[in-house]
Amino acid sequence: MRKDLFSESGRLADITKYLRRTFELWGYREVFLPAVEEFSGNLRKGTKFAYNNGFYVIKPDLTSQILANLKEPRRMKLYYISEVLNGGIRGKWQAGVEFIGGKDVQMQVEVLLTAITSLEALGIEDFYIDVGSLKVWENSMEGIEEFRGEVFEALTRRNFEIIERLPISEEKKEELWRLFNFRGKRCGYGKLNEIVDAVDDERVFIDFGTIRPLPYYRDIIFEIYSPRLGKPLGGGGEYTFKGTDAFGFAFDLNALSKLFDGRKMEKSRKKVSGDLREAYRLARELVKLGIPVEVGE
Amino acid sequence: MRFVLPKGRLFKGSLEILRKAGVELKPPENRELIVKNGKYELLLARSFDVPVYVEHGVDVGIAGSDVVEERESDVLIPLELPFGKCRLSLAMPAESLTEIEDMEGFRIATKYPNIARKFFERRGVDVEVIKLHGSIELAPKIGIADAIVDIVETGNTLRANGLVEVEKIMDVSALLLVNRVSQKVKFEEINRLVLKLKEAGRNDV
Repeated sequence: MRKDLFSESGRLADITKYLRRTFELWGYREVFLPAVEEFSGNLRKGTKFAYNNGFYVIKPDLTSQILANLKEPRRMKLYYISEVLNGGIRGKWQAGVEFIGGKDVQMQVEVLLTAITSLEALGIEDFYIDVGSLKVWENSMEGIEEFRGEVFEALTRRNFEIIERLPISEEKKEELWRLFNFRGKRCGYGKLNEIVDAVDDERVFIDFGTIRPLPYYRDIIFEIYSPRLGKPLGGGGEYTFKGTDAFGFAFDLNALSKLFDGRKMEKSRKKVSGDLREAYRLARELVKLGIPVEVGE
Repeated sequence: MRFVLPKGRLFKGSLEILRKAGVELKPPENRELIVKNGKYELLLARSFDVPVYVEHGVDVGIAGSDVVEERESDVLIPLELPFGKCRLSLAMPAESLTEIEDMEGFRIATKYPNIARKFFERRGVDVEVIKLHGSIELAPKIGIADAIVDIVETGNTLRANGLVEVEKIMDVSALLLVNRVSQKVKFEEINRLVLKLKEAGRNDV
């Protein structure tokens, strides 16, 4: 049994209330996925088990589960709030969105803004988003394709010594070193510049050192973090499903709960008191207008 | 900037290389576990916990590649450091030497259950792994394990306990660990430290 499950649940309820509202304001619909799926090589994470001569996965990675259930690609904006297991019995709670079949650049901008406004809705303002590109790295691999594995290992570990040891030209090493340490607002990749310009938020940076080594990502990837917490708040990226572009992200709800100050949010709740009939009449009007309310006893 | 260093065999080497890189950290004078020195803060932890501290928010740490591999923590590893060299090996009593492929059902005592399990899985041999926290060499002696997976430096401890090294599983070295978020938030400061440590390491070799 978990220690203090109900207080953990209370915090998740507070956070997901604001996330649900923001996701829905941006036009995403909640998707309800089964806890158990038949095992498939396309499903990532989850905890595998055998039952009646069949193999199954409990609570796999949500993006891979959505794709495994999608017969044909079509324009969809989905969001989920779910626990994800990773081989064990205790998982991590995640909330995320998937925008499938949107227009390139516009889709990326909208998803990034969904992430930004979600954090703002939670009262979390001191965060940064670093956006990177896998294509930029793939292009830089021209002529050194056989060392792709080593270059990506160097990036994942942020260990440039791995690249220094490769039998490649000094010019190539120099080019990779510049990419390795690039962080700014404009770069040589038009698509990234367009995205960062349109998002127009001082907390968003281009950072080619940002790598999320998930097999389904194709190009644009991003990571969200706050100087107040040593772990990323979430991240996402661009993928392709049967030729259709998609873009999504997930928040780590445990990380968000460490930054979320519920008391601050409660201050915006209108307190109503007095005659019961009058107080509830006013409360009802306020709720209709979407204003949080509490009727005093 | 906050550093976490392992108590034990890597502690002295860690302080030394950081000092050469311009980071003067004072070793604790008594039993305190956190020491402040100007803009630096030093935390002392069990070697197995160093990657976990770094993953959860301490800016920089130094740990052996054995514990980093065992804990599978999500940390950046920008440098291999030129000390703490040894190896992680499979060893067993000299009188009962067995080929690895014939170890099916053997009991393996170790501080490194993940690494041991993966090693035998790769060889397709099903073994029972028993996790111990120290004096691993005792386990085969008193009959609770058939073999051990442990750190070998000179081989003297193995020999003294009648054990023979069967196979090296991995080379071990001290590694510099950096928290993923600190790398972004303290970008310049950490990049400078990595370059200085690299320089200090080169001069040491």
